[in-house]
Amino acid sequence: MAKEHLLKQLCISLGKNNKPTYAVMAIAAVKGICRPAFTIMDKTEDPETKKYTALREGLTEVIAIPTYYVLGEAAPKLAAKMPKELQTMAKKNLMFLGVCIAAVFAIPALCSIAIKPLTDKIQNNHKKPKSLDVNTLSLMSAPQVTSTGNPVIKPAKLSTFSSAKIMTGMKVGGV
Amino acid sequence: MINAIQNVITNPAIASIAQNTNQALIVETTLKAIGRPSFILMDGDISKDTKKYAATKELLYQATCLLVYMALVVPVFKRGVFKLAKNSEFFKKFDDIKILEKFNSADEVLDYHKLTERSLPERQKAIKKDKYKNLHHDLLKNLENANEPEKYPLVKGVVELGNITGSVLGLAILAPQVSHAIIHPALRFLGLEKKREPEIKSENKLDTQV
Repeated sequence: MAKEHLLKQLCISLGKNNKPTYAVMAIAAVKGICRPAFTIMDKTEDPETKKYTALREGLTEVIAIPTYYVLGEAAPKLAAKMPKELQTMAKKNLMFLGVCIAAVFAIPALCSIAIKPLTDKIQNNHKKPKSLDVNTLSLMSAPQVTSTGNPVIKPAKLSTFSSAKIMTGMKVGGV
Repeated sequence: MINAIQNVITNPAIASIAQNTNQALIVETTLKAIGRPSFILMDGDISKDTKKYAATKELLYQATCLLVYMALVVPVFKRGVFKLAKNSEFFKKFDDIKILEKFNSADEVLDYHKLTERSLPERQKAIKKDKYKNLHHDLLKNLENANEPEKYPLVKGVVELGNITGSVLGLAILAPQVSHAIIHPALRFLGLEKKREPEIKSENKLDTQV
């Protein structure tokens, strides 16, 4: 009974005033959970790349939700300067405009400013300094050789160097 | 200039888009598909090739999302939730939902609601259009005579809840999966991405070279 009442109230509230912020914030919240989860579940990717991508995707949506809310709620306040009879219409339109501005300008701009330093900070916090002992060092320094006595040269993978990947530009929603 | 801005801000057509989840998200995704690649192309700090790659990728992503949303999510969820609300026992427990019998589709609910937002003379003029001739006579009477016609918020809310649920599932889960499958082959087709070459075991390669 309580569930039915809650659902009924939710429907009535949406019917009376369906703010554009509701849908975009709900989408951002689900994206913020599902997309990092899908990335982590991908077995073909390198674990370090997966962690970085998942973190980046999660942070993008963490930035998106408050941005949608703030711009969606702040923009209608400008309607106070309009004539009274036009205020209701102006509030709805300004809220929609605020959401569009958030999606097209504000979120990509905030992401390009904040995501790189945030991911670097989070990743650095998780990296523990490795303890080095003499045996490890001696094993590491001994060159591996093939049966013919030539040193084994393993080509470095691109994924080893995070700076070599294309990470510039406004990557917000892309795959 | 100020008048033009005021006209846009108080435009009832924009207000009706803003109140309709599907239309609002279609407009927003279209703006993203145009705006985001344009800003990437305007960025002066990155190389031309990177800009071209990132802008094309973003455009393809947003375009795929838009197509999936319009082709699959909008019709399926709009119709699905309307039918569910009309036929399921759960929704029948709500007394006010009985009014749903007077509507033939979710679009009719949204059209009716759009008309209730207009002034009486505007409504009287609008309901003469062919688009509204199939509306139930009670609803037409309501729109034609009442100064403030009944808006049936529960009915409109049920349709919007279905639209929001569909939009979340479509844009947050389905569309990214579909675009993931499409974007990389499309980028390779456009010559912006190279095919992944299989890794060659370096040790064996070195041995044979010696």
